[in-house]
Amino acid sequence: MSAHTPPRRAWQTAVLTLPRLLIALALLAFIGYFIVYAIYAVRLFQFPFDYDQGEGFELMDTLLFSQGQWPYRSNASYPFYSSNYPPIFHLAVAPLVWLFGPHYWTGRLVSFLGTLVTAVAIGYAVQHVGKRWWLSTLSGLAFLASNYIYHVGPLFRQHMFMVMFETLAVIGVTLAIEREEESGKRQTGRLLLVMALLLLAGYTKQLAYATVAAVFIFLFLRRPLRAVLWAVGFAAVTALIFFWINWATDGMWLLNTVTANLNPFVPGQAVGLFRQWFGLHVVITVAALAYALYQLYFERLSAYSIWLVLAVVNGVTAGKWGAGESYFATAIAASCVLTGIAFGRLLNGAEKRGFMRYAAGLTLVPLLLLFQADRLFHAPTDIPAFATVARTLGWPTAVMIAPQTSCSAPQPARPVPYVDSAGVSLLGRPPTPADTAAGIAISELIAQGETAAFSEDAGFNLYLGRDVVTNPTQLLNLYNNNAVDLDEMLSMLDRQAFDTVVLRAQFYPPPVLDVIGQRYETTDLVEMNNFVYCIMRPRDLARSD
Amino acid sequence: MTKRQLGLALIALALWASVGILAVDVLDAGQFQGIGPAQQSALAIAGGVLLLGVSLLPLGERPA
Repeated sequence: MSAHTPPRRAWQTAVLTLPRLLIALALLAFIGYFIVYAIYAVRLFQFPFDYDQGEGFELMDTLLFSQGQWPYRSNASYPFYSSNYPPIFHLAVAPLVWLFGPHYWTGRLVSFLGTLVTAVAIGYAVQHVGKRWWLSTLSGLAFLASNYIYHVGPLFRQHMFMVMFETLAVIGVTLAIEREEESGKRQTGRLLLVMALLLLAGYTKQLAYATVAAVFIFLFLRRPLRAVLWAVGFAAVTALIFFWINWATDGMWLLNTVTANLNPFVPGQAVGLFRQWFGLHVVITVAALAYALYQLYFERLSAYSIWLVLAVVNGVTAGKWGAGESYFATAIAASCVLTGIAFGRLLNGAEKRGFMRYAAGLTLVPLLLLFQADRLFHAPTDIPAFATVARTLGWPTAVMIAPQTSCSAPQPARPVPYVDSAGVSLLGRPPTPADTAAGIAISELIAQGETAAFSEDAGFNLYLGRDVVTNPTQLLNLYNNNAVDLDEMLSMLDRQAFDTVVLRAQFYPPPVLDVIGQRYETTDLVEMNNFVYCIMRPRDLARSD
Repeated sequence: MTKRQLGLALIALALWASVGILAVDVLDAGQFQGIGPAQQSALAIAGGVLLLGVSLLPLGERPA
């Protein structure tokens, strides 16, 4: 089964039939997940509105970059828009926006491709050590099979692009140091590439600091003085870029990417997500942590082990308001690499200790991966084949979920054709033609007025070619940090300067919601993606008075 | 760096973190009177890191 497997006797070949079948089954299961992932991605590419709150604002950031403008702006004046994310992902998508216009599929495609690059990189790292194609393939596919990666991977969000750079950087530093120690020659060029990847990760999303720390701790363990010198250089370049952007945006960069990210910590959210992450990824997490502990006591620590520990610890930031399951994506990538390497070494060791041990190992590894596959179950059951698989495996074919109603009366739960072992999830169900029709209906309601809508989703205004007004979560973050002046916005709402207000989750700061309630009334309710949107029009103030 | 040095570094990190966690009360920055639940969890983790560091000391000069 490995690249150097010696010829076997007939009975040995017969004994290996079971493990081969199990490996084939495991490959089937994880390729199945990949098909599910690809279908979800393609259906998201076809959906022209926000699926996850915030996607439209990342599209807006990309649009601004494609026009040569910064998205780090004052929230105090019309259109009250600013971004809290660094620029790399949006810059990567900008050429597609130049070519095809501001469409959601552009960023969703780039993010999806980023996850594929990550999966291939994981497979490469495992293959480099274990030399077993099926194990390397399964390790890469396991990353894409994670419920969390599935949910977020094909969204217009920058997170998975950061994970791609992180993964490439950690694999890069591992290979560079390995080559250096084998050849005795310095690998300055390769280390420069690693630094560039870390810089790209950090300027894709701030959360990459944990991976940056992991790489420098690894370098420090190997050659402390060199690590310090590289760290000084890296910090200097990072700081130079930081202060240049801050200077170019008149301080708006610091305000919007740092101050606006100082959100309250919700311990219950962190604990709940930790439990869910561990329960869903139990095999790859336990195997990876066990291998990291083995390295700690019995050999040298690898960059992957340090990366895993820091990524898991950094998972605690998932408890921050506005954070979520995607904060475990780095830990999942590290787990996949370490599990693949651990299983590969286990099999290589067993192979040297005799045929029966090898056969036992070769049976155990795919069995564990099949158990892991079962823990990760998720499938859109509006596709009959997936509904059959769900039924066969004992899962329901639909989940009862009540539409999300923050601004309208609660509605009873109804069956949603999407099953997920992570539980009831707002992400994962592929959007349908009915969702697209609902988005168009909301846009048409906005089009009846003359102005841009004051909308919690950017998609409707983008669809109509009107201004994107506000970024509600950003406003709320700044409001909670006493860092935004709402006077002009409140005045415009008070004067009913917007023909339409669209609410989805009421993420605006309380004073904004108050004045909307006083000056606007709900005229239409439209359901899209299991959210009930409230379309509001100016109240007839003379009648109200 | 050796396993023993790594152990010492982990012990120092755990002690430094514990002082920081307890300093929250001295500075009166916490939400709870006494040691709150988040502090208890953080102290438990720091304790785990301390034990991990101690366990590495006997491994001596082997490379970390």
